[in-house]
Amino acid sequence: MNITRATLAGALLLGWATSACAQSVGLPAPRLLTITPMGGKVGTAVEVTITGEYLDEAGDLIFSDPRITAKRKLDAAGSPIANHYAVTIAADCPPELYEARVMTRLGASSSRVFAVGTLTEVTPAKPNRSLATAQELPMNSVCNGCLAARSVDFYTFSAKKGQRVIVDCATRGIDSKLNATVVIGDAAGRDLLVERRGGVLDFAVPKDGSYSIKIHELTFKGGSAFYYRLGLWEQPAGTPIVRQPGTKTVNSFSWPPVGLPQQAAQTEVEPNNSGETAQKIKLPCDISGRFYPAADVDFYEFEAKKGEEWWIEVASERLGLPTDPAILVQQVIKGEKGTPDKLVDVLELSDIPSPVKVSSNGYAYDGPPYNAGSSDILGKLAIKEDGTYRLQLSDLFGGTRSEAGHIYRLVIRKAAPDFALVGWAIHMELRNGDRNAVSKPIALRGGATVAFEVVAFRRDGFDGDIELAMEGLPKGVTAHGLKIPAGQSRGMMLITAEADAPRGYANATFVGRATVAGQAVTRPCRLASVSWPIPDSWGEIPSTRLLADVPVSVSGIDHAPLTITPKTPMIEARVGEKVTVPLAHKRTCDFSGNKIHMKAIGAGFERAPGFDLTVTDDASQVVFDLKTLNVPPGEYRVSFLGGGVAKYRYQPEVVLAASVEAESKKKLEEVKSLEAEVKKVATDAQSAPPEKKEQMAKALAAANAKMKAATDALTATQQQLTRAKQAAQPKDIVDIVVCEPFTIRVLPVEKK
Amino acid sequence: MPSQPSLNWSAIASVACVLGLGCPIGSTQAAERPVSFVNDVVPVLTKAGCNMGTCHAKAGGGQNGFQLSLLGFEPAEDFEHIVLEARGRRLFFANPDKSLLLLKAAGQVPHRGGVRLPVSSPGYAAVREWIRQGVPQDAANSPKLIGIEVDPKKGSLRRQATQQLKVTARYSDGSMRDVTDMALFESNDKALADVTESGLVKVLDLPGKVSVMVRYQTCVAVFNAAIPLGAPVPTLPPEKNFVDAAVFANLKDLGIPPSPVCDDATFLRRVTLDIAGRLPTEEEAKAFLADKSADKRDKWIDELLQSPDYADFFAGKWTALLKNRRDDESDTVSNFAFHAWVRDSLLSNKPYDQFVRELLAATGTVIGNPPVAWYKRVKEPKEQLEDVAQLFLGVRMQCAQCHHHPFERWSQDDYYSLAAFFSQVGRKPSGTRGEDLIFHKRGMATATNMKTRVALKPAAFGDSMLAIAPDEDPRLKLADWMKSPKNPFFAKVLVNRYWKHFFQRGLIEPEDDIRDSNPPSNPELLAALEKHFIDSKFDMKELVRVITRSNAYQLSSTPNKDNIGDRQNYSRYYPRRLSAEVMLDSIDQLASTQTDFPNLPAGTRAVALPDNSYNRTSPFLRVFGRPEGQSVCECERVQSSSLAQSLHMINAADIRAKLAHANGRAQNLANDPRPAEAKIKELYLVAFAREPRPEELSAALGYLNEPRMNAAGQKVDAQKAARENFQDLLWAMMTTKEFLFNH
Repeated sequence: MNITRATLAGALLLGWATSACAQSVGLPAPRLLTITPMGGKVGTAVEVTITGEYLDEAGDLIFSDPRITAKRKLDAAGSPIANHYAVTIAADCPPELYEARVMTRLGASSSRVFAVGTLTEVTPAKPNRSLATAQELPMNSVCNGCLAARSVDFYTFSAKKGQRVIVDCATRGIDSKLNATVVIGDAAGRDLLVERRGGVLDFAVPKDGSYSIKIHELTFKGGSAFYYRLGLWEQPAGTPIVRQPGTKTVNSFSWPPVGLPQQAAQTEVEPNNSGETAQKIKLPCDISGRFYPAADVDFYEFEAKKGEEWWIEVASERLGLPTDPAILVQQVIKGEKGTPDKLVDVLELSDIPSPVKVSSNGYAYDGPPYNAGSSDILGKLAIKEDGTYRLQLSDLFGGTRSEAGHIYRLVIRKAAPDFALVGWAIHMELRNGDRNAVSKPIALRGGATVAFEVVAFRRDGFDGDIELAMEGLPKGVTAHGLKIPAGQSRGMMLITAEADAPRGYANATFVGRATVAGQAVTRPCRLASVSWPIPDSWGEIPSTRLLADVPVSVSGIDHAPLTITPKTPMIEARVGEKVTVPLAHKRTCDFSGNKIHMKAIGAGFERAPGFDLTVTDDASQVVFDLKTLNVPPGEYRVSFLGGGVAKYRYQPEVVLAASVEAESKKKLEEVKSLEAEVKKVATDAQSAPPEKKEQMAKALAAANAKMKAATDALTATQQQLTRAKQAAQPKDIVDIVVCEPFTIRVLPVEKK
Repeated sequence: MPSQPSLNWSAIASVACVLGLGCPIGSTQAAERPVSFVNDVVPVLTKAGCNMGTCHAKAGGGQNGFQLSLLGFEPAEDFEHIVLEARGRRLFFANPDKSLLLLKAAGQVPHRGGVRLPVSSPGYAAVREWIRQGVPQDAANSPKLIGIEVDPKKGSLRRQATQQLKVTARYSDGSMRDVTDMALFESNDKALADVTESGLVKVLDLPGKVSVMVRYQTCVAVFNAAIPLGAPVPTLPPEKNFVDAAVFANLKDLGIPPSPVCDDATFLRRVTLDIAGRLPTEEEAKAFLADKSADKRDKWIDELLQSPDYADFFAGKWTALLKNRRDDESDTVSNFAFHAWVRDSLLSNKPYDQFVRELLAATGTVIGNPPVAWYKRVKEPKEQLEDVAQLFLGVRMQCAQCHHHPFERWSQDDYYSLAAFFSQVGRKPSGTRGEDLIFHKRGMATATNMKTRVALKPAAFGDSMLAIAPDEDPRLKLADWMKSPKNPFFAKVLVNRYWKHFFQRGLIEPEDDIRDSNPPSNPELLAALEKHFIDSKFDMKELVRVITRSNAYQLSSTPNKDNIGDRQNYSRYYPRRLSAEVMLDSIDQLASTQTDFPNLPAGTRAVALPDNSYNRTSPFLRVFGRPEGQSVCECERVQSSSLAQSLHMINAADIRAKLAHANGRAQNLANDPRPAEAKIKELYLVAFAREPRPEELSAALGYLNEPRMNAAGQKVDAQKAARENFQDLLWAMMTTKEFLFNH
């Protein structure tokens, strides 16, 4: 753990370690959890329904591509129907996955995948949990389904002998929690072909007739999060299967290297499974191969000269495969006079370690759930003697698995220094199993500063500074990067919304900049996110992925519980002096306790001791001793990070709004008046002459119906008010507090 | 102190001869020769039971602090313990009779083990003489025991006959010695024959094959006896395949006439239960009984083998043996994945060698490669080798971790050489607590013998491997060795295990204890099955097919006057109580109900349950002995009867609820307008896969037509009476042996 990490952990742990269990973790964040159906066909319109958390005042449904647009669905009276949208997919929208988000009172929600395809879209109209009620699927269709707990969904399709039918169920790749078991059965539902590992079913139809598809969760879990898109299509014989698209794993951010061609220059040539049959190659090289069949080992042999340095990189796991490549390089020393060759180990390469500790997924949060490392390979081969070298590449997970799709790309090159970046919202290191708050869209409250941890994958020995920047932000929002210092792998991005920043949304650009071999280089920083908020980490492992874009939004309504700003954005001091940083505090709610513990973040200042900030004061100051910190001359971006327990009120404006209270009162009056009316009609009906009895009975029924409708409306309004009042009650919520960053310019000691 | 075997001192008297103290035999000149600690003293201690695991060979210092090696397998250590330990207080050279060793053994001072060597016994004399000679140590070139022979090796014995065995030891100097009195004898089937301490075999009443294991020091020999019944075997069912040839030849040899081939209904029910773990449905029973084709039995076997029911049923058997146990909620996914992998492997008829290879050389993640889950349950190399040896090779290696195997040739070196195959199993943490990613860790595979501290390379039961390079996963080499057609264990244990599944008794018993000293009851049959299995490329469905197609499997369970006592030679089908899961499913099938298992879809059958966790919520499964996945032994499944089982069938809430279920069969039959005869036929077809016999039909009709009275003696409402009558009838059928047993 380097200093940045340790500082962060210390700052966040100290304040809450003992008290965290008593309160919620993380302020409310808008989260889009489901969108049904989960996709649509190119060039069509589709009606979707959304669900989620904190989606109050849900407005526009926004997609990561402008070729997909949505309008709110209106009822007969022209009023928007909550959570219903009409989505239009332009004819020129490529079939791919897109991010969908909804704009809410708190800003833009977290993302949910929306798939665009070319197959006929089907959504089961009624439950299909038995063979008798199976949903018939037309060939070349995709069905948007969702599994209930303890259930199996049934489908049928017709096929002809000799047809090659593909059944491909998209689940994890479209943010679903479903570990699907997909079974093709005969017409009686008896299993013929089973797939449980997320693979595709390639079915050779044995005879004309009807076939069944059963789908269930591996352990029969279910619920709205267990949705799927079941694709069924006919595939011409001998053609490769292109599966439904899926999201990218977090560690794929580091692949491919910039400029690598789509196709490798060479392919492996079997047999190359032994030293004797090693494939002769020349360096540099770029080879595609596969770990197939089981226990496949691919040998390559090349000549190299003393003093050469080669970088070896292998991608396989980062291509989304469950593989673990390993490389052994040996020098081949030719045997003399018929003696066998001698092999001398030169280099062993295996995993690429994550630059930061990855969460152990225990009860306590001890690191991010995002793994920037990989079981792939990156390493340097330094040649110490002229000679013949043999490289063997195997899959440590492939001893018994014969999967033709387990491919790899092997690149051996001269050093091409570069970097790749990935970032994610930071979370608190807490002894608490609540991981909801790890699902954190960049939805900013007024006056808030949020922190993103950024990790660099350094390639081929690049170890310079990496500056971080964000552009294209919404109005009233600024972003400041805390650079990734030379030789290190971690930096931060702090995004701040002004207190009065208006409601807004923008797709920002997030980059890292460095000087590589004298050239200015800019690389994108990908964002990673969890797919789902997880209330209990003991029972569920967070599923993570890369996002397609960098959405930044501002609430415009809600405000940060505490805003800490430097009174001046730039402070100057000379080497060895003490620097005083005056801070202004602004609270919008009470805090539990009047102090919160904070630590400095930003290269050069992380060793500064932590301090307690008095929340109830309107200002404070922090003093840095540049002598103790031994900070050399230069410009430093610094901030303070800590955490506190806010007594947060959710949506208090609803309760305060006179209209809600007035509406409730109005409905009550209405019910009372209807009560009297019903009573009167009832009395009239009793005393009515026989010829009018029927008419009066009808009038009484109508009055009763009216009364019931009014009572229901009153109950609904009252319940809404009660819920709003409950939500608006101050609630202890622990969350991160970040100071708006500032710059300290350290000047050299004045020469006298 | 556990009870000790009583010693036959008249027999032991001859030990003096063995020692050369009285009557020398063989080539050794006896007069005044020094007593050998290894060859003369240790055997006395072994025969007297001093060095049994419950006495002075007890782990942790031996009884009362006096440690001897188990069965005298480590004489050098025993010498140290006796002579040098405890400041030499165990021996008194000036007066050997006052040696603590002898005083205790002869019971002259209090000894919890009782009198083991009476003063007058030759054993006592031998030890005394050794002490008198000054406890000489065996010279490096002193004769070493190299083998024993039993005479006769085999024989055919009449019932009630006796046979004295003679045991001769061979030594490295070419000498021979009669060690009958010092040897240990054990019958493998005490119902057939017993053997005395002096090696006298006493045959009892039952016909069959029996063997007597003879042990002397580290050597083992076997006497095999056939005990013919000698009854005439005038006719035998036709031989449908090699199974019949071998079974019937054996019956002919032994003179045990087999029962005839069973009727269609019995066959249908039996084979459906045995292959698919369920009762035939009413429709299946009707169709099968009506089918007149000659090959309908073979076709039905194929149909069953094609069905997912076969995979579900056998997956339950395998997952219990492979310890698919849920100890924590976090085991759920891996248990389901592992169970599904086993089930899918069986459904697709993955060759057995491939199945085992994928299991024991598994790498990766549980979701990506479910057999990795086995490494979650079985974490240590020693557990891995022990489970693999017992389950897939039928060799119980547990003993050899600490000492030479008492009944076998396996040494500690064999144990650790086998462990070495698992020494390069690498682990990386996964996202799930308690679950690792498994990979091959590059390096030379070795395991250190904890006694000798020698690092041993991988070797399987003495078969050394070609050098395994550091890059090669030794487990794959072990899998290669297993599947070799020459492997004497791998196919044998599987065919024996499956034979037992269908015949209730293995050709070798226990089914996973294959050793020279535990020979099969029908070696020709076992060899033929083994060959067939290997020739079929380890095709498990073909093995089931060849077994169940045989007339031997299809014999009636009704005994004739001659084979009623046969428990071993498959002269008739041996009935067996339905296993817990099958019985529960069968009851549900009969009652038209479902058992609700936590978090599983309605209608999930008990045989398809993925792990043991459902035993917690199902008293039925517990009471009827569903295993918990604790061991690799099939014996963990309890097939015996108990009072609790009877009470459960009589009065348990779940049984009553099934009988009285609103949509159950009793209710439906009560509402059914068909004539009562048709309804009774339906019940019999479902429960027994046959139609009722006339007397059964009339008894059932009589019961259904009886007026039903309440406690007050008033007539019960007709609808209610009908429902309750059908419930009673169902319950009565459910508790019959014909229902509860596969027969």
